[in-house]
Amino acid sequence: MAEADDGAPSSVAEPLDLVRLCIDETVIVKLRGDRELKGRLHAYDSHCNLVLGDAEETIYIPDDDDDESENVRTVKKQSEMIFVRGDSVVLIAPQGGS
Amino acid sequence: MSFFDFDTSLPKDRGHFASAPGFGQTPDAFAGLGGGAIGDDDAIDFEDTYDGLGDRLDETDDAFNDDTFGGGPASQQTVGRDFDFAGQTSKIANTIHEEQMLFQARQPPSQQKYQQAAGPSKPARTGYESYHDPNYIPQLEARADIWGLKPKQAAPPKQENQAPEPAPAPARKMLSLEEVEAMMRAQSLTQAPPTPAQQTQAPPVPQQQPQSIAHTQAPYPVSQGQFTGPPQILQRPQQQHQARPSSGPRQQVHAELPGHSVQGPPIQHPTILQRQRSAPNDPAIQQHRHAPSQPAAQRPPSQPRQILQNPNRLSGQGQPMAQAGPRGSLPGHSRGPSFPGMVITHPEQLLHLSEEQRAAFLEEDAKRAKRNHKIALLSKDNGLMTPQDKNFITRIQLQQLMAATGNLEEQDPEAALVEDFYYQVFSQIRGAPRQTPHQPANQFAQTYLFQTSNRYGPGRRQGRGADNHMQRMEQQVQRAVEAAKAKPKGKSLVIEGSLGKIAFSNAKTPRPLLNIKRQETEKQSHKSHNSSTADRKATLRNIETVYITLMQMEDHERSLPAPISEDSDPDAIQKHMEWRTKIEALHTKLWQDIKIMEPIVQGSHTPHPFIAILSHAKGKKAIPRIFRHIDEQERITVLTMIVVHLDNLSVVSQAIATPEEPLSPTIREEVELFSHSVMPPLFAHISESPLNIIIGLLGLILDRTNLHVVARTKIGMSFLTMLISRAELLKQSAPEINVGDWENWTELYNRLFDAVETVLPLLFPGTVNDTEDMYVWQFLAAMGVGASPEQQQRLVIGVKDRVMETVSVSKALPPEMAGARLANVNLFMRAIGLDVELLG
Repeated sequence: MAEADDGAPSSVAEPLDLVRLCIDETVIVKLRGDRELKGRLHAYDSHCNLVLGDAEETIYIPDDDDDESENVRTVKKQSEMIFVRGDSVVLIAPQGGS
Repeated sequence: MSFFDFDTSLPKDRGHFASAPGFGQTPDAFAGLGGGAIGDDDAIDFEDTYDGLGDRLDETDDAFNDDTFGGGPASQQTVGRDFDFAGQTSKIANTIHEEQMLFQARQPPSQQKYQQAAGPSKPARTGYESYHDPNYIPQLEARADIWGLKPKQAAPPKQENQAPEPAPAPARKMLSLEEVEAMMRAQSLTQAPPTPAQQTQAPPVPQQQPQSIAHTQAPYPVSQGQFTGPPQILQRPQQQHQARPSSGPRQQVHAELPGHSVQGPPIQHPTILQRQRSAPNDPAIQQHRHAPSQPAAQRPPSQPRQILQNPNRLSGQGQPMAQAGPRGSLPGHSRGPSFPGMVITHPEQLLHLSEEQRAAFLEEDAKRAKRNHKIALLSKDNGLMTPQDKNFITRIQLQQLMAATGNLEEQDPEAALVEDFYYQVFSQIRGAPRQTPHQPANQFAQTYLFQTSNRYGPGRRQGRGADNHMQRMEQQVQRAVEAAKAKPKGKSLVIEGSLGKIAFSNAKTPRPLLNIKRQETEKQSHKSHNSSTADRKATLRNIETVYITLMQMEDHERSLPAPISEDSDPDAIQKHMEWRTKIEALHTKLWQDIKIMEPIVQGSHTPHPFIAILSHAKGKKAIPRIFRHIDEQERITVLTMIVVHLDNLSVVSQAIATPEEPLSPTIREEVELFSHSVMPPLFAHISESPLNIIIGLLGLILDRTNLHVVARTKIGMSFLTMLISRAELLKQSAPEINVGDWENWTELYNRLFDAVETVLPLLFPGTVNDTEDMYVWQFLAAMGVGASPEQQQRLVIGVKDRVMETVSVSKALPPEMAGARLANVNLFMRAIGLDVELLG
């Protein structure tokens, strides 16, 4: 209700309105520090602070023990609900399909 | 040699004030003060160096120096403090100056011309205008500005003084430059007898020259007598005026000031002037010194002009001037004459010096040379641009500024502030809020004028060229303002006969390079295209729009005014009416937003927009909220729409589960959500619908959807169950109504039964162990209730295996679970008049 504008509201007027389209949808969020989150976008704000539900966090850790093979190790964490502070958000992408 | 210079200048400066009435250029004398002060150091050095030559000096009177100078080098403070007139003027000097500049800037050109014309009448025209410039002196010492101002105002009275008392003036030897020049001119011209006016003045000069020489041998008392006190200086002229007419000036003076020669000052005036001008002229002065008998009038007239030619240069380089002293530029000094020649300048003189002295001198010389070199380097590019050049550039800048801000006054102040913040603030600070459109420009111009005139000095300004610049600048500003005002207000102008438009640009509104007309039709077609093909993003957008409208409606509901009654006052009624109007509008909008009225495209690959909305979780969640706001007819429409597209619903089409391939968690979630959010309102509606609606809906399902798909999904089966049970309920409650409808219903039911019978074994989504089969049993029960005995038989045959398996499985299960499973089965069994117990 708070978002209801009195003037003619258009669903997409600014970039963050595109994020709005992703609300309640599954999104992939890329974060600083080689992390990714995938989860249902519950809420966001102008700072790109996000609340994700059923989020899966993936941390990419470069494994440079052996020089020849720079494998990337991934660590995954599962969170039922997670708050992401906006300053670490690099991008928000809707999950393709569905 | 600067030493000499110093002495001369100082006495002169003081003397100058003493004799101020005769000299319009009083401030000029002070210009040399800075130089003199600088030279002071040199003077001391010189003293040390030249002791040997000092024999020739009569320094007996030097003892008074300390009295006169206060023991230290004369500074402006020690001297200047005593001059009352200066102090008074100084307080308002700046103001006066500003006023003058502003006044001049505001003068229309014609008036300025008048000023110019008036100029020559002033004594300032004597050729020392450059010294008249208040700014000329400040460069040397800040306070000198005060002095500079005074002469301007005092000048006219002085002239008057001179005119009425021609006789006294000569006696005093107070020669204004004009007079001197006049004399020189007179002499140079065929030695013809001077005009009467000149004659009166001329005679004293020759007389005084000898005197001065005589005194220069014992010089200090002479010059310093004037330094003793400002009051004396001020008084002196008067005294002289009174004394001289009656008798020879010399005696009188001596009588008044024993031990001091009054005539010192007059002699020094010329020298002062010369010294300030430039070194090159010094030889001439020297000549005067060495051959004192020469009348001062014989000095070449060119001297003053030379001074004029580079006053700024000299003033800017006070040091060099002082250094030029050694060359003989300091002859004005009373000591100068005592030396046989220009001592240091000649190499022979060095020979006479002791080793120490010579070394010291050479060192000094080297220092000086070094300094000169430095200065030369620094000033290498000085004067590269003439003041005219600078003025020209200023004008160009001004023009550009005017062009850029020309339209400012047309804007409201707010916009102007945003556009040109610093200038606006600046002009605010400067006072005078812009009341007329003309004002900013004028003010701007004045600011410029003020600065430029400051920079170049009045000397330049008084020159014709400089004045022209000021005028031209002013005119240019005027023109620019006019042009800005004449500009059309619009952004473009179509000139008759031209092929195109002329777009105006300024800092505010740059000229648009591209002028593309947006096509309304294009936009519209794009829109319709969007909604018809309803891709994912469009769907999401639709959902958001729906939500926005929903929120508006819900928000609006809270502002529902108090219920009205018959005796409510008109205001309340009015409010209520408005509220109603608004909610109606929102209602209409919501109805459009859900896209339910979009035409149904048969066989289209893209789902109907409304169905697409339902494919999103948030779309599903919106349905119950939408249902609250729509009326009965619209609810039927929604229900119909969903039923028609039942097999297109994502929760149906993608939710066909088989024992081998159970539903994905996502789909399961979707189905769950759908059955919790969308189904209840729909079922609530169905459960109140009359038979004809039920018949219609079932008919649509049978006709328009793939029943095999519908029947194998939980959602589809739930719909069927709902419809059948509703019909059964109606049949039991009021079987006698609408016989025709019942016939229709029976026919439909038979069709449904036939269709479902073939897939009976496939109705169960999972294996026997799958517990989620209650809805299937419910469906079977519903079917069984309405089925004929023969149909019941077929039903039992169809699901007999499943029933037996479930019963057997449940036996192995814990009692609670077994009870649940058996209860499910019993739903069906009881519907057809049986019981699991019988199977026991």
